[in-house]
Amino acid sequence: MSLDCLPVTERRWIGRDVVRVEDRSLLTGRTRFIDDVVLPGMLHCAILRSPFPHARIIQIDTSRAEALPGVAAVVTGADALAWCQPARSTPEGWGLRCLASDTAHFVGEPIAAVAAASRAAAEDALEAIDVEYEPLEPVTDPFRAMSGDSPLVMEGKGTNVMFHRVFTWGEVDAAFAGAEHVFTEKFRWNRVGANPTETFGTVCEWDPGTLELCVYGSIQAASSAALGCAGTFGIPSSKVTVKSQHHGGSFGGKGGARGIVVASMLSRKAGGRPVKWIEDRSEYLVAGGGQAWDRHYEASIAVSGGRVTALSVTLVDDLGASGEGFGALGAAKPLAAFTGPYEIPTARYDLSLVATNKTPVFPYRGMGPPPHFFVLEQMMDIAARALEIDPAEFRRANFIPADRFPYTIPSGNEYDSGNYGEVLDAALSLAGYAELRREQEEARKQGRLMGVGVVSTVEPGVFDWNAYAIVGMPQTGVPEGATVSIDILGSITVRVGFSMEGQGQYTLVSQLVADYFHVDMDAVSVVQLDTRSAPPSFGPGGSRLGVAISAAVLGACQRLTGTLRRVAAALLRAPEDQIELWDGNFVLKDRSGGALSVAKVAATMLARSDLLPPGVDPLPEATYVWTAPGRTPADDEGRAKSYLTAAQAVHVVVVEIDPDTGVVEILKYAVADDCGVRLNPATVEGQLDGSIAQGIGAALYEEYVYDEEGQPLVATLADYLIPTINEIPVTQKTAVVTPSPFTPLGAKGCGEGAIHTTPAAVMCAINDAMAPRGVLLTEVPASPQRVWKTIREANR
Amino acid sequence: MEWATVKPAAFDYAAPTSLAEALTLLGDPDRDATVLAGGQSLLPMLNMRLARPELVVDIGRIPNLAGIEEREGALVFGAMTTKAAVESSALVLRQQPLLHAATKLVGHPQIRSRGTVGGSMAQADPAAEYPAVAVATGGWMRAVGADGERTIPAADFFVTCLTTGLAPGELLVEVGIPALSAGTGWSFTELSRRHGDFAMAGVAVTVRLDRAGCFEESRIVVFGVGDIPTRMSAAEELLRGERPEPSLYRRAADAVRDAFDAPMSDIHASAEYRLHLAGVLAERGIADAVARAHPGEEGPNR
Ligand SMILES: Cc1cc2nc3c(=O)[nH]c(=O)nc-3n(C[C@H](O)[C@H](O)[C@H](O)COP(=O)(O)OP(=O)(O)OC[C@H]3O[C@@H](n4cnc5c(N)ncnc54)[C@H](O)[C@@H]3O)c2cc1C
Repeated sequence: MSLDCLPVTERRWIGRDVVRVEDRSLLTGRTRFIDDVVLPGMLHCAILRSPFPHARIIQIDTSRAEALPGVAAVVTGADALAWCQPARSTPEGWGLRCLASDTAHFVGEPIAAVAAASRAAAEDALEAIDVEYEPLEPVTDPFRAMSGDSPLVMEGKGTNVMFHRVFTWGEVDAAFAGAEHVFTEKFRWNRVGANPTETFGTVCEWDPGTLELCVYGSIQAASSAALGCAGTFGIPSSKVTVKSQHHGGSFGGKGGARGIVVASMLSRKAGGRPVKWIEDRSEYLVAGGGQAWDRHYEASIAVSGGRVTALSVTLVDDLGASGEGFGALGAAKPLAAFTGPYEIPTARYDLSLVATNKTPVFPYRGMGPPPHFFVLEQMMDIAARALEIDPAEFRRANFIPADRFPYTIPSGNEYDSGNYGEVLDAALSLAGYAELRREQEEARKQGRLMGVGVVSTVEPGVFDWNAYAIVGMPQTGVPEGATVSIDILGSITVRVGFSMEGQGQYTLVSQLVADYFHVDMDAVSVVQLDTRSAPPSFGPGGSRLGVAISAAVLGACQRLTGTLRRVAAALLRAPEDQIELWDGNFVLKDRSGGALSVAKVAATMLARSDLLPPGVDPLPEATYVWTAPGRTPADDEGRAKSYLTAAQAVHVVVVEIDPDTGVVEILKYAVADDCGVRLNPATVEGQLDGSIAQGIGAALYEEYVYDEEGQPLVATLADYLIPTINEIPVTQKTAVVTPSPFTPLGAKGCGEGAIHTTPAAVMCAINDAMAPRGVLLTEVPASPQRVWKTIREANR
Repeated sequence: MEWATVKPAAFDYAAPTSLAEALTLLGDPDRDATVLAGGQSLLPMLNMRLARPELVVDIGRIPNLAGIEEREGALVFGAMTTKAAVESSALVLRQQPLLHAATKLVGHPQIRSRGTVGGSMAQADPAAEYPAVAVATGGWMRAVGADGERTIPAADFFVTCLTTGLAPGELLVEVGIPALSAGTGWSFTELSRRHGDFAMAGVAVTVRLDRAGCFEESRIVVFGVGDIPTRMSAAEELLRGERPEPSLYRRAADAVRDAFDAPMSDIHASAEYRLHLAGVLAERGIADAVARAHPGEEGPNR
């Protein structure tokens, strides 16, 4: 069915900056987060963690801890062996159990856990657990890990290489061999990751009566968590309920299953008393879901006649000690936008996923392409600089032309629509590009290091599992459902399967329904169901939920309208096909005769069985489950139509570097982007702002540092430097709108947004600034120390 | 229910309402007691169980421990005076602009609204601003213990990283910071990763120029590089009697770099980089201080 139309003369809500329905509760402190959940008899969990990156666990003695007042249960690796399977992982077979039993694989790996009457008592009990370790040699460098003489992270595997494959799309070798110019460079992207305001937390209850598990948690993808629990414990998924609380952000960092599994085991051992575990910030930073993208790249591009003819990328991706965080997906996702916004006919991807004795990596906003684009965009600038072509014009010359959409890239994904030249023009004119280059010339005459970065990237939106087929995700669809229900007084309730996480999707649902049935947004309530009652749902992730939920809601509205129309036809005594919904009333298409409001029709259904047409249930309610159309399974080179939409952006960044200190100052930041139709422009802008902030963090500040022995040197937010409001520039923004032909209302996925572009743009600006000195910084983040060192190289 | 989420190791808590009572509690040789002031350094340490005192003595309810007054050419701060109070004090802005400038660099408004003057001195973080100000201005600390009270010059107060000359059981009650005399030029420069972070390196400078415009007296204090804020005597000596000019500042910067044997090193700044920064900041700081100095002027600041 076509989901494009809203049956109203004028859209009053969709496409406008509306006040978010989430905000009243958030601002008045009424939103209930996981730590607000208090159940009768609840215990508190604390987790003992490995101080060693690699060690044999010789012995664990918990007897002193068990004897302490208030301690209800203690679990160790022995319980994990008895009760649960290793975590599901990508690649398959690289998951660890929630508690280490014989070997510890990274610092912070859970070894034992306590449930006690208070968190303090539980923490005290940890100190009474005696563990005897035999330290083993760790491996922290992925290149060493790939070599024959390396210690093994998982002994049974016989190798640390989780995955290696070379993907070839088109005649790459020929393109390189025949190219006028070939440019090659190495890059290092250091570990960064999600740091939501709220860390992970859960309350788990293992009911010994029903043998059912109930999990509350600050969980991003509730249905996946439920399936994961069922698989881990080997119980029917119908016996697991996951209720995701509204939570303070996720950005991919809340996928960790260990906390849930550990708390569930403790509840089971404590006779079914609920157990709460709230991850503290240090636990999150050291061993939570916050680490991603620890990458070593080598890239080459071939250029002939000003056109890029081939791209080759070799990635060694350090996934840490396990595949449990699904960090591998982040190495697979670049296939959805491998060649960025450019018409590059051939490409190669040489991908190695490697295990080391570091914390397992997890997804992070953008899920892999941000480092890929950092590399691709540096290569574009390296080529432009060498060929003395303006970097903006070099990009323009290589853009996929506007008349070529839908466009299939060499790695197989299809871009829905776009007008990249127009977006570039919008960004350049917003930034005053020509004038910037003049200013730069002046600055250079004075010896100042001023640089301009012009970067363009594509944001794959609305993910499907086939995007990750190459690392072992077999399915294609990711359905999202919604139920729209009208009560006897005409109030509308929409039931969904995901919780509030900050992006404003409840607002979007309210906007859609309010426009569809021509009511005020206040008349619509959005209710979250747990995983056993909700329609199929994945929730937020992969820049998908805005598009997916709007399709689901529109589908449900349409389906419900079909039912209501049958009743309206009976009441209006007119043929059904003569009747339509318009501005909230059922009317005759020729506008003769009366009108019946939606509320009235629904009330009649519920209250007047005498008027109900035969065959119609007294149920003014409909459910619709949407999945992206036209997705294809991956072929033998990993090619698939995966992400449904392709948003695009151009960022222009101006920086100045203090050559004496290496400090980078952002002087100007301009953004033009095209994410199709903006269903709620304020939300899009908010997503952009947050994503730019995270991009600046990745480019200049954030880094999970390990020493050579595998000890994490980041344990607090004084070590892991998230930029504050003082570090984030005020951005200028403008929008181009190229509707998606594939989605309801023409919107594109835009939730991950600017993090695709910002790190690349800032780094291009920095390298542009340093260009007169003939040096290149190929490592992020560009900390003052790194920039200073790079400039010093030039002075030598 | 609140206590259920508390994480520090168990401790006793006392909130004495008189100095005498506090000293009795702190003086008990059988109990490991710690003072709680603004809690901005202590509470994280407690939560991470890095500090495990038996008794926490909250000095927030002792009368007359907070306030700013002028006494004999100095500004005297009660130990419990918050940085927010220092920041908004017109007296401080007028009499001791260097301290005012430094205050703005201490953490964030939230931290300054609770963190105290005494707490920063007692904490003695090598990268903290206040100890550097105290050393650069020739300040002093007044401590009270079971055996009475004593005044300790700032130069002797800071012993090493996170360690002061306070004896066990002694409470820091007052901090004196001499007013800047008229004509004195000053600067306070630091470089931190983000706004509000502890500095990777910082330099406090005061200079007095004679009638001829030459350096008469200068104080250069570097913090965040060594284990305590350190006066750069060689650099100060190098300036004395000389005419201010950039090449001189550069030589002073070299002298600063030569002053440290074992600079601190962490993930944000290596020893080498810190040392380099100290020189850069010293060079800039001296120039800024000179620009603010009025040659030949004497007497109290106006
Ligand atoms: C996010 C953040 C950023 C920060 N940034 C900076 C910064 O940039 N620069 C900076 O200098 N500081 C910074 N701080 C630290 C802050 O300034 C602290 O407030 C200060 O170091 C200690 O002051 P307090 O009053 O909080 O002391 P507390 O934390 O209460 O105590 C600190 C220590 O001093 C002892 N103590 C306190 N008062 C006395 C006394 N009167 N007599 C004897 N002993 C005493 C305590 O026993 C304890 O050991 C930051 C803190 C945070 C949380």
